Amino acid sequence: MEGVDLSAVSLRPFRISDADDFLSFAGDDQVTRFMRWNTLASREEALATIRDVCMPHPWRRAVCVGDRCVGFVSIWPGSGDDRCRADIGYGVAREWWGKGVATRALRMTLSQVFGDLPDVLRIQAFVGADNKASQRVLEKAGFTRDGLLRKYAYLKGTLQDLYLYSFLSTDVVPAAAD
Amino acid sequence: MEVHDRQIAPAQGGSSGGVISLRPLQLSDVDDFMVWATDPDVARFCRWEPYTSRDDALAYIAGTVLPHPYHRAICLDGRPVGVVAMERNEVASNACRGELGYVLGSGYWGRGIMTEAVRLAVAEVFGGARPELERVEAVVDVENKASQKVLEKAGFRREGVMKKYFVLKGKTRDAVMFSRLATDDDS
Repeated sequence: MEGVDLSAVSLRPFRISDADDFLSFAGDDQVTRFMRWNTLASREEALATIRDVCMPHPWRRAVCVGDRCVGFVSIWPGSGDDRCRADIGYGVAREWWGKGVATRALRMTLSQVFGDLPDVLRIQAFVGADNKASQRVLEKAGFTRDGLLRKYAYLKGTLQDLYLYSFLSTDVVPAAAD
Repeated sequence: MEVHDRQIAPAQGGSSGGVISLRPLQLSDVDDFMVWATDPDVARFCRWEPYTSRDDALAYIAGTVLPHPYHRAICLDGRPVGVVAMERNEVASNACRGELGYVLGSGYWGRGIMTEAVRLAVAEVFGGARPELERVEAVVDVENKASQKVLEKAGFRREGVMKKYFVLKGKTRDAVMFSRLATDDDS
């Protein structure tokens, strides 16, 4: 497998100057295919999304390789009686697939996020039953598969069976053994 | 086992000792409502604390029950002994699923009444009361074995255990996810 020096992977808040990098993956149908996002169509949309969604977000990080933004990780905490759990979403630019970048970004996220969001005790991910690549990323990052939720939600108009994965604040993040 | 007079509808619960039916809960049902709503055994796994005031019960019926997308009194021989409800998700991509909730007066536990009420409710929602629903789901505390048995007997499938899923009365709880689809065969 082609190597990336995974120590060059970092997480940081989004910046307005990430707009072009952001558009290059958020404007790619192959990346947004399994996501709730609509594919971005212009630099203006990328700027607006960074300004209006990424920057005020409870916990969203740019995934960087070196100084270049190649993806994102989002954590959406619940509120009220659901405040102990949070949903995770992530995406990486197509040219960085298959190199361990997403797995590394998730492991880094899991090492940080429980400290940043102390009410959160459970992080969960909903993954399409046919999205094998994302299931592998979650498993390598240490998530447990809780089960298959049948006909759980629509994704872009199609009714989906979704696997539910979870990682608890008491779970151990696997050491980087790539 | 005694055999009671059979009726086509409402449904007959074999060992329940009466006829089980569903109908909307009204303000005039408040005194029956207070029987289960004040009972700490009933409230144990619910998000709410036992009611202490009839006025609070009336406000709840008026504000939450009457406008609810699907809420029914469980009646035994015409008298409310519990409720069953199906929530609605406002986000369009989640509208295919509804979460089921139910309570029954503790004096009526262990007689198959809740299982029958759940069956009736599922048939109503999939039969036209909630045409957008593909999936009915229930999230049950891991310690609430009686409720898990109700769902198993009512033909729900256990999909998995979700640890530290929600906070109940200040404590983090593990929960079991159950579901029944509009396309599931009768069990």
